Amino acid sequence: MTNTDQTATAQVDVPILRCVNIVKSFLGVKAVNGATFDVPKGQITALIGPNGAGKTTVVNILSGAMKSDSGTVEINGVDVTNWENYKIARMGLMRTFQLSRELGGLTVLENLLAAPKVQAGESLMNIFFRPGLVKRQERENVERAVEILRTYGLYELRDNRARELSGGQKKLLEISRGVMASPSLLLLDEPMAGVNPALIERIGGYILDLKKQGVTILMVEHNLNVVEQICDHVIVLAEGRTLATGRLSDLRANQEVVQAYLGEVIHASTHS
Amino acid sequence: MSAIWYYVFTLVFFLFDYFILAMGLNIQYGETGILNFAYIGFVAVGAYVTGAVSMPNSAGTGQHYILGWGVPFPFNLIIGGLAASALAVIVALITLRRLRTDYLAMVLISLSLVLYDVCNNFVPLFNGADGLYNVPEPMAGMFHLTSNSFVPFFAGVAGLVALIMWFIMSRITNSPLGRTFRAIRDDAGVAAALGKGVFRYQLTSMLIGSFYAGIGGGLIIQFGGSFNPSAWLPGETFVIFAVIIVGGVGNNIGLIVGALLVETMLVHLPAFLPAIPGHPGLIEYVDAMLIGVLLMVMLWFRPQGMVPERIRRFAMPALGSSKSDGEPVGATAVATSKEAE
Repeated sequence: MTNTDQTATAQVDVPILRCVNIVKSFLGVKAVNGATFDVPKGQITALIGPNGAGKTTVVNILSGAMKSDSGTVEINGVDVTNWENYKIARMGLMRTFQLSRELGGLTVLENLLAAPKVQAGESLMNIFFRPGLVKRQERENVERAVEILRTYGLYELRDNRARELSGGQKKLLEISRGVMASPSLLLLDEPMAGVNPALIERIGGYILDLKKQGVTILMVEHNLNVVEQICDHVIVLAEGRTLATGRLSDLRANQEVVQAYLGEVIHASTHS
Repeated sequence: MSAIWYYVFTLVFFLFDYFILAMGLNIQYGETGILNFAYIGFVAVGAYVTGAVSMPNSAGTGQHYILGWGVPFPFNLIIGGLAASALAVIVALITLRRLRTDYLAMVLISLSLVLYDVCNNFVPLFNGADGLYNVPEPMAGMFHLTSNSFVPFFAGVAGLVALIMWFIMSRITNSPLGRTFRAIRDDAGVAAALGKGVFRYQLTSMLIGSFYAGIGGGLIIQFGGSFNPSAWLPGETFVIFAVIIVGGVGNNIGLIVGALLVETMLVHLPAFLPAIPGHPGLIEYVDAMLIGVLLMVMLWFRPQGMVPERIRRFAMPALGSSKSDGEPVGATAVATSKEAE
């Protein structure tokens, strides 16, 4: 193997996201208790676990919305533990929320236009002294946003205020807004929750398309059919710690995982 | 000039001045979501500093005040605006990083009371409860203006300043910076998750809005020639809130409608009505009640204001490919449905 090959292999092996021994307590109750896992670059990873396992808390800590009590988070080998959320976003990590959080007073198109991290037109000096640059960049952003809205089927709604959208449309808007920010890692917190089966399939398709474009995905998801269909890698959280990692088909044979989560899901599905 | 025209031009002046004040509060509250309940304090700082830098050295004037540089118009006005912005930096550094919404509002209203007490009681600063008076009338000597002709002249100056300030504000609110302000207003957590340094933008919004407050205050002291604590009781902040809520939060045109309805029609017009015999101050009280009622009616029936925030539309790029409008493309792997819901 040549040096170039070795370097390339090493780069592939470095996980895009690594978290080690994350602990987070709320009033003495440990919501996350030593969660440790890697998210491999270029893959779709699912974060699953029973309710109260600490999945959303982990997502909040990874994205900087919440500070951990201890443990470390690295993005591409850079220690970003307890960085402010906007700084983590600038490292290329974008997220969506369990309950959609659209920028309600902005139009659908403006929601996307707000996403690019650094815009010339966000500086007072540029607005008044470099209007040409601001206008050109804005035009480029509009072109890109329109392309994304067409892809996600939201183009016709571009001039609607985001708060007027339906639940499913808001889910699509959140994902498309994340895509507009050109992320290297996209954290999706239950992107399929509360949406109809047809839309679940569509969102699954979009996620696979993003993977093809080189975006790494970490998604919290309860729908195991979706996880089985589109995810390359699964992390199981229970009681705030990592129970197991691997492919879902392998995890089905893991007695501990079945007891903690899969048994519960299978039981629930047979009674519904 | 007849008394009626004197009144009319006074009303016109206050219309323009409150338009400027409303634009300043609107960028903070209507665009960025900062509940600045200390806004009138920034207006007062702008007024006092504009007055104090315009006046000569305080020795021999019978007043006590700092500065006294004799700075001419419009530089005195700009210094007043910058002083209000400087106060905004201090306030923002203390409050904005740690406090949000209700808590921020409570701290700011307390700050307004502290500012008021300091200016009212610390005489060496801006002459205490007597306030500043005999503030020079700008350009009166240059144009040989009498105290009567100064009123329409300065109403025109205020109109010109308001026009310039409106042009600047429109550029800001229609820019990506304005959009980022509105993103923070709608959900600061989402804006931060998109990589926006929320504090930096809130600070910028506070700076801009306070500059407008300072300019508005500076015009008031030069128009009347005096300014004292009775002119800026902390409750005055809510009159400016009423202007933007009635006119339309987040809409610069709505603000002039709000200024006309609230400030001109309800606050200043009744002040010129003759007092009702045997009931001194009744008009003033009824006036305050009417503003309160108007505010409640608007919030109940038309919370978006008289002129709601407009939908910002963008020119669409030409369709370069075979993609059809509105139909999702891509999502080839497992997608089957075309409509979101």
